[in-house]
Amino acid sequence: MAAVTYALLFIALYFEVFLLVSFLERRLAKRDAKVMLRDFPKAAIVVPCYNEEKGISSTLTSLLALDYPKDKFEILVINDGSTDKTLEIARSFEADPRVRIFSKENGGKHTAMNLALTHTDAELIGCLDADSIVETHALMHVAAVFKDPRVAAVTPGIHAKETNNLLQHMQKVEYRLSIFNRFMLAALGSAFITPGPFSIFRASVIRELGGWKHGHSTEDMEMALRMQEHGFLIANCPAATVFTSTPPTFAKLFKQRVRWTYGFLRNAVDYRHMMGSHRYGNLGLFILPTAMLSIFTAIYFFVRIIMEFAQQFLDEYTRISVTNSLPMPNFDIFYFNTSAMWVLVWLAVALILVLISAGSLIGTGSRKLPAGTPLFILFYCFLVPLWLATAVFRATFKLGVRWR
Amino acid sequence: MDPVISDRNTRWRTYLVALAITGLIFATAFYASNYFNQRRVEDIRTAQDNISTDILNIETQFDLLQEHSCSDVAENAILPSSLTSLGSQLSYMEAQGGNSAEVTRLKGLYSLMEIKDYLLMKQIAQNCNLKPVVILYFYSNKGDCTDCQKQGYVLTALAEKYPQLRIYSFDYNLNVSALQTLISIDNVEDNLPALLINGKAYYGLQMIPDIERILPQLASMKTASSTATSTND
Repeated sequence: MAAVTYALLFIALYFEVFLLVSFLERRLAKRDAKVMLRDFPKAAIVVPCYNEEKGISSTLTSLLALDYPKDKFEILVINDGSTDKTLEIARSFEADPRVRIFSKENGGKHTAMNLALTHTDAELIGCLDADSIVETHALMHVAAVFKDPRVAAVTPGIHAKETNNLLQHMQKVEYRLSIFNRFMLAALGSAFITPGPFSIFRASVIRELGGWKHGHSTEDMEMALRMQEHGFLIANCPAATVFTSTPPTFAKLFKQRVRWTYGFLRNAVDYRHMMGSHRYGNLGLFILPTAMLSIFTAIYFFVRIIMEFAQQFLDEYTRISVTNSLPMPNFDIFYFNTSAMWVLVWLAVALILVLISAGSLIGTGSRKLPAGTPLFILFYCFLVPLWLATAVFRATFKLGVRWR
Repeated sequence: MDPVISDRNTRWRTYLVALAITGLIFATAFYASNYFNQRRVEDIRTAQDNISTDILNIETQFDLLQEHSCSDVAENAILPSSLTSLGSQLSYMEAQGGNSAEVTRLKGLYSLMEIKDYLLMKQIAQNCNLKPVVILYFYSNKGDCTDCQKQGYVLTALAEKYPQLRIYSFDYNLNVSALQTLISIDNVEDNLPALLINGKAYYGLQMIPDIERILPQLASMKTASSTATSTND
């Protein structure tokens, strides 16, 4: 048991250190010269929506405020069978010539994206979920990256939109960590997700690959893996800032994360030929296997910690039941746990703080940690294994997941 | 920050640098853990040296004064809490598992000190007409004694309630000849947990009321709360 624990701790620490070393190497390396756009490629932003009456208005308003030549930019709203006022609200934006609206029966996000693909001649096509808003210069930043002909897709820097409660504060920290991970995965040529909020694609590549697929309800992951499989590059542009809504309740967060993890697991199985293959470089040799292993590592440590807590609880319960008195707290420094295991856990936590700080630096230009960081460190690790375990169970028995 | 575009070529140097750093982190963690364990062992050794000196001091004092006055000896007797605290520290070290050979050696030494203290107390009690209340507790932590943990909790609570009660705990399986002699002299069977009170062995879990029934003199002892109250007064 101890050997397995140390082995998993070693791999987890190695992954963190590897990303940090790669980050520092990149910081020390010569920077790419900034590309200034003269010829703006035509871009189409698709807003697929199913019952998004709450967010569609702010999403479209932020898109119309984008700093990009008006004749080079269009917005395609795809009403995917909404039963609320989504269509009505979208139509109120139709007066702007850049907005086109299509309505279809509900078929899922990938069908909405494919419909948009058939109705545009834009060089770049992207998606902005109707629960997200985009910063004014985001498209300009992203379009500049496509000057490199090798680039097939560009992912943005995604930030949490609201921090109305503790759960959303914790998610804000998680998003900072994701900014770091997304940046580093792109730096290693290993991005395996092109997230829904404002990932932009070269339309010709999407057509060449045959359009979007269902991808086990995670079409953004499936598309990224298919691009990697065919040798296309996925870049990251953290300056292209997007703010996305985060689930306000645990139930909603749980459902969202089960879907994401389920999608990753099923897609990883579909693309298993990439795992461990040198042909796919860092992605095949290290990133995908480690991402897969990290799910089981998180569940393993969660079970171990819960078992340890349960044992301690049982001991205290036994003590109280046989003595009829509460134990005296012992603050003697002698009893402070300094086993190698705990020292390593503390070091791993310290490294995570460094990575969150690096994520803040990449995403905001400041190393300052978000206010919710202590909560994230203390509690989030106990929430994550819950959806990971559920997703593993559902993926094992192919039970499927639903968006809502 | 500027956008990042990169191919997925494997840079082995990065993998090796990360491996070296992770190895260094692991080595540091094990070194630090070992260092702190050594410090604890040193603390225990120092405490044992102090208690050992105390025992020798009382023994010598007793030899010198036994024909004159018992009060000085009784007043300077070793506090049971010093031994109890040392016992707790050793149990903790044993549970941690590190440096087990050294911890077992210290545990053996601790048992000897307990026996020595027990014998000395018996001698002082006889000559000075004192009636100390003593419990000898035999346990096993080999996993064959389901009630030993509970008995430990009961005795700890009892010691907290009656600070003057002297409890000596012994690992029944510890390979210390003096301990094994004590076990055979008092005919303590391998049926644990076992309490030896006034020369009689009690087997199985004994709760606080059971022990208070066996030792009615506990009722006349000052309890921790009454001591605290009198101190405050």
